[in-house]
Amino acid sequence: MLKKYFPSLGVILAIVAIFIGLPHFYDNQSFLFNLMLYLALAEGLNIIYGFTGYLPFGYVGFFGAGAYGGAIAITLLHISPLLGVLVGGVVAVLTGVILIPLLRLSGAYFAIANLAASQALYLVVANPSLEKITQGPYGIDLSSVYNANAGYFAMLGVLVFAMALVAYLRNSNFGLSLLAIKEDRVTASLAGVNVIRARSIAWMLSAFVAGMSGAVFGWYTAVFYPSTVFSLDVSVFTIVFVLFGGIASVAGPLIGALILYSMYNFIGISTPQYFQLFYGLLIVLLVLFLPDGVVSLLKKGKVYVP
Amino acid sequence: MCPNGKKLLKVEGLVKKFGGFRALNGVSIDVCQGRIVGLAGPNGSGKTTLINVISGVYRPDGGSIEFDGCSIYKLPSHKIVHLGVNRTFQVPKPLSGLTVWENVLLAAVYGSAEGDKQQTIRDSLEIVDLSAIKDAISAGLTFAQQKLLGLATALATKPKLLLVDEIAAGLSHQELLWIAEMLQRIQQTGIAMIVVEHHLGFIDTLTSDVVVMNAGANLFRGSINEAAQNEEVVEVFLGR
Ligand SMILES: Nc1ncnc2c1ncn2[C@@H]1O[C@H](COP(=O)(O)OP(=O)(O)OP(=O)(O)O)[C@@H](O)[C@H]1O
Ligand SMILES: [Mg+2]
Repeated sequence: MLKKYFPSLGVILAIVAIFIGLPHFYDNQSFLFNLMLYLALAEGLNIIYGFTGYLPFGYVGFFGAGAYGGAIAITLLHISPLLGVLVGGVVAVLTGVILIPLLRLSGAYFAIANLAASQALYLVVANPSLEKITQGPYGIDLSSVYNANAGYFAMLGVLVFAMALVAYLRNSNFGLSLLAIKEDRVTASLAGVNVIRARSIAWMLSAFVAGMSGAVFGWYTAVFYPSTVFSLDVSVFTIVFVLFGGIASVAGPLIGALILYSMYNFIGISTPQYFQLFYGLLIVLLVLFLPDGVVSLLKKGKVYVP
Repeated sequence: MCPNGKKLLKVEGLVKKFGGFRALNGVSIDVCQGRIVGLAGPNGSGKTTLINVISGVYRPDGGSIEFDGCSIYKLPSHKIVHLGVNRTFQVPKPLSGLTVWENVLLAAVYGSAEGDKQQTIRDSLEIVDLSAIKDAISAGLTFAQQKLLGLATALATKPKLLLVDEIAAGLSHQELLWIAEMLQRIQQTGIAMIVVEHHLGFIDTLTSDVVVMNAGANLFRGSINEAAQNEEVVEVFLGR
């Protein structure tokens, strides 16, 4: 029974080893932090997009809600940053609950409505009349609790949690029921699956991961603005990483984020014009020749993808 | 009245509208425990719509549906399935990315609370003779195999009532005989059925209790022989 989890467990352990080991050889901690952040976000998006087929263009809304939820709890309620991370996750889940009716929409309608919702949330948070709570457009300052190493390991913790969730979905009947909903809602419900409940659970799990990631990001960054944590770049990057790697497995989104984010960091930041060209070409090629991501190459070679 | 005294399904005055069009216009049908009712009628008379409404795939716009003593009117499909109703599709809808086994597994796990799941899956595949290809991806199955997979999936939820929509359409005479025999074996396990079929000879081998629909309403109920002598039935089948 538990044996089927071994390959996924192997992947998770490898990632943990990498991010514990690498700082000893490579001193750009902030790059490693951001890499972990995108790995976690990619797995979080995988939960909702990979398993149920809903593509949330406003995924960043959960990230921002988590960053602000965590930061406000830390500054106003004076709780510990670690607890703040949890609060960030919960705030994102509550945001997700409010948005559950969006799941009645399908395809592009859902994607656009979700995008609009995330921007609405951005405008609310950045509104100067909420300055007493959110600091409005002036940003949040968490430098009193700043602790880079603690933040780094908190991010690793969130990443492990996200990977474990996906490993569960990859190997469990619940994950199978989500894949069934993605393929044919009617057939799934006639198999006895409570479609509305199952997809809402997936939605909230996905929000939880993004919310905790946002809260850790806020803590690690110490100073941030609404425009940072509600930036659509976060959604776009995450979606591209997941599409590039491949959905509904633990390894796919990891591979996508590892390759593309590293590339972005080494080519993109120094010579953005080449990078954009390269990135654009890559996406075109991908959509044309590898719509199911890089891991589909492995699957074609009959390699099991954890 | 039912010979064993127990009515399993009681549908009365059912209405289903698509826009202004009444696909079901007050149809009634009832099924006794463990019995088979044949359902016939010309194209577009509302047979599939009736099955869709009973199984919760479409929401009704009037009438009543009682199953096993409780109302299933407007319940969502998964609840209706849990109470003991399932169906097959005229055009099969397997989860094509999943294997045959996974399709049935899902139904066994989520469709019924009781029993050994592995055994349920094996039994369901055995009845429809798909055990040999249990690991095949269902997208690669033939049309007939996909219909059988739909039947196995429905059986895995342990229904008391099975709604079978034109399972024999497009099959050879040999296959038809085999399917009829299979449905009889399923009935012998205590499962009641509504069997929709154009092929009246096929219905005749299964039951002498036939309902004929026309334009979303009841036209006739009785045996096939009586139906063949009924002027109205002959008229709608041959066209006026
Ligand atoms: N989803 C739908 N939207 C609009 N009209 C529909 C829909 N489903 C069925 N109809 C219409 O309802 C009527 C009944 O269709 P239904 O499929 O129930 O007939 P049927 O008796 O099963 O026919 P057949 O023997 O051809 O399978 C038809 O006129 C059909 O066009
Ligand atoms: Mg039909």
